[in-house]
Amino acid sequence: MPPRLPCSSRRPQLLLNSLEQASASSLAPSAALIPLHRPTATSSSSACPTSSTPRCFSTTPARSETKMRREFKEWLKRNEAMLRRPPGETGSAAKPGGTYLGSDGAYHPFPNNSYFVSQPVLSERAHHWIWYQVMVRGQPLKAVSAQHGVDVRRVAAVVRLMEIEKRWEKENKPMATPYARALKNMLPTADLAPGEGPFEPINDIHVHSYTMQQLFVPTSESRQFTRADAAKAFGEHILPPDARMRIPELVDYERDLAKGVDPKVARDKFVKATAESERALAAKLRAAEKEAEERRIRVQTDRFEFRIEQINSEEVGPKGRARNAVGWRYGVPHMDRRRGEHKIPTSVGM
Amino acid sequence: MRQRRLLRFHGLKRPRVRQTWNKYNLYNLYRMKTPFFNPKTFFQQKWIAKGLARGYHGEHIKEYQWERMFSRRLLSAVNMDPAYMARYDGSEQAAGRGSGLQVAPGTKASDVPRNKGNLDARTPYMQMVFAPMERRLDIAIFRAMFASSARQARQFVLHGAVTVNGKRMRHPSYLLNPGDLFQVDVERVLTATGQPKRPNQGGNKSPSSTPQEDIAEEEESEPSASASPESTSERKPSDAAKEAHRKALLDLKERAKRFMWAKNDALRAKQKKAIRKILRDIKVALSRNTGNQEEFDAAEAELTSLIDNLTLSPAELRAKRDEEQRKKSELDEARLEKHKADPTLLTPTQHKLLAHLAASEAENPHDPSKPYATPWRPRDWMAPFAFIPRYLEVNHRICAAVYLRHPVARPGLAEVPTPFSPILSQLAFTWYLKRR
Repeated sequence: MPPRLPCSSRRPQLLLNSLEQASASSLAPSAALIPLHRPTATSSSSACPTSSTPRCFSTTPARSETKMRREFKEWLKRNEAMLRRPPGETGSAAKPGGTYLGSDGAYHPFPNNSYFVSQPVLSERAHHWIWYQVMVRGQPLKAVSAQHGVDVRRVAAVVRLMEIEKRWEKENKPMATPYARALKNMLPTADLAPGEGPFEPINDIHVHSYTMQQLFVPTSESRQFTRADAAKAFGEHILPPDARMRIPELVDYERDLAKGVDPKVARDKFVKATAESERALAAKLRAAEKEAEERRIRVQTDRFEFRIEQINSEEVGPKGRARNAVGWRYGVPHMDRRRGEHKIPTSVGM
Repeated sequence: MRQRRLLRFHGLKRPRVRQTWNKYNLYNLYRMKTPFFNPKTFFQQKWIAKGLARGYHGEHIKEYQWERMFSRRLLSAVNMDPAYMARYDGSEQAAGRGSGLQVAPGTKASDVPRNKGNLDARTPYMQMVFAPMERRLDIAIFRAMFASSARQARQFVLHGAVTVNGKRMRHPSYLLNPGDLFQVDVERVLTATGQPKRPNQGGNKSPSSTPQEDIAEEEESEPSASASPESTSERKPSDAAKEAHRKALLDLKERAKRFMWAKNDALRAKQKKAIRKILRDIKVALSRNTGNQEEFDAAEAELTSLIDNLTLSPAELRAKRDEEQRKKSELDEARLEKHKADPTLLTPTQHKLLAHLAASEAENPHDPSKPYATPWRPRDWMAPFAFIPRYLEVNHRICAAVYLRHPVARPGLAEVPTPFSPILSQLAFTWYLKRR
């Protein structure tokens, strides 16, 4: 709050100011035109320059910008070199590989949340290497995943995306190369070089909500109470972690190592086992597809392909309200005919 | 009650952190602190926390929609080390009186059975409150850095620039399933993440002078008739004529102003100067308010000629540009021949450098037809917002990403990008539990 003058002493002073002004520049005829009750902007700082009304209580000129805004601008100026332009461009003092608000170079984009970390992404070289291992050398996905510590799902996704990229290159489609290059400088990256550690945990299992409770299970001290027993104690249908491993072949590999098998032999065995499991999975999927195709009758017309399937309308579940049951059932409304109810797809087929 | 749209989206006075790459947002993020909750009642604490959290997480989503999405089951994962699994069956943890045997002092750390691969920290479950939001297509697009805000990502979906598994998806609220591949139109992404087109930043100034500039130069060299401030009219115009003249002048002034306003981006400095001069002359004429018809005619003629010259037909413009290009290529050929005669002109490294420059130019060319500043550069204040959460795998060259799995919490890490502290997130979580 600017200092204020008491009202009683205000008017005479203003008058005095403007009179002084007039006498000082008495040579100029325009000065006479200035009304006595309204001091001009050129008058001394004790007068109120911005106000157009005769009643002005403040002796200091009003600020053109608020304190908050000023501080904001100052902050921007202070951090311009580090944050404004991405690293690698002119006028940027930031190092490539992530500059964030979090203190002392930590990869925390949010200063208040230290639990969220900007983790490295796979570099373009790593993308190409994974694609080469899978598509050219024909390595099983699980083997590539175990070799570099990259999640199997990520390996599959990288291959999928690289295939699209290769297709675009062949079609000469325009790609966002400058954008990708700029982001490479902004993000921390992992090259999957031999010296680097694993990229991410590859054998993570979801924590089942049944296992989040604390149980007291009385057993004898001599009993071998294993992971399988613990799973059974939490619930009949709860599987032990051994059955939920994403790459169970890795456990066998480690078991071989513990037994003293030559690492190279164990490794070959592991690769063979993963290839075999992937082949088995593919065969299973193909068999399911074939079975579904056999149940289906396709009728090709000019415009549509009709696919007709045999449906048993009796299969409506124990309460008659099973989700995939078809046909009109007593007491079950057709939700698709209500006004204003639009259906958002829950999945998009490949 | 104040309407939501009346509140400032990025304010300094009542700051809210938003899902955008705005510089105001960056400042608000930097100075955000968890509110001082001590004097507040529990209900007030939850209310404030929920308000702040929802201002960031899907503020464009209606509250009832979010309430239906909310789930009290927070996902977490633990890494199981295969080496540990192969060597121990877990019974060592239950040995003795049920909590494992005591480790003898002096035992090596490598001899103690331990499941490795997890951080030695608590699992921050409370940072996972808004995990269901991250499944939404629009928010996933923002997280993959294809849009500069969640609202822009939503607009991309609505405008049909996004495909999921190769099929056009127009629902921003589509919940991605693990394995879904979404793809955004490359041009949209470049527009969203690139420098905006601004006339004064020099982003789109062509290196060579355009035909328009030449015209302006000619315009400058011409002696302008309206500039002469002579008022040698013999006959005294009537009041009505004076009024009509004044009106016409005003109209002319308005036209010139409107022209300048509309063409502000395209005009060059010299052209702007010429128009400003006309405006000044009109002002002088208006202030004198003499019904001088000659003066008015001259000003109008000048303005018309200026506008005509500026609005060349596209064909004419193209012809001019082609001619210039031809001249340039002729010059280049001459240079090439010169170089052949005297090969010491360019060294091989210089040649390489030139080739590299040419390649980068071909990759990121100057193209005024684009809606963003070319050559493409990332927008300001973007770098501190740059991160890709681990549940996505993104290929930025083709602007496509795969939603690998749902975000999970791990010991010491939470994958949901939230700017709030665990205390605030926990209060927000408590708000959304059914019985509060």
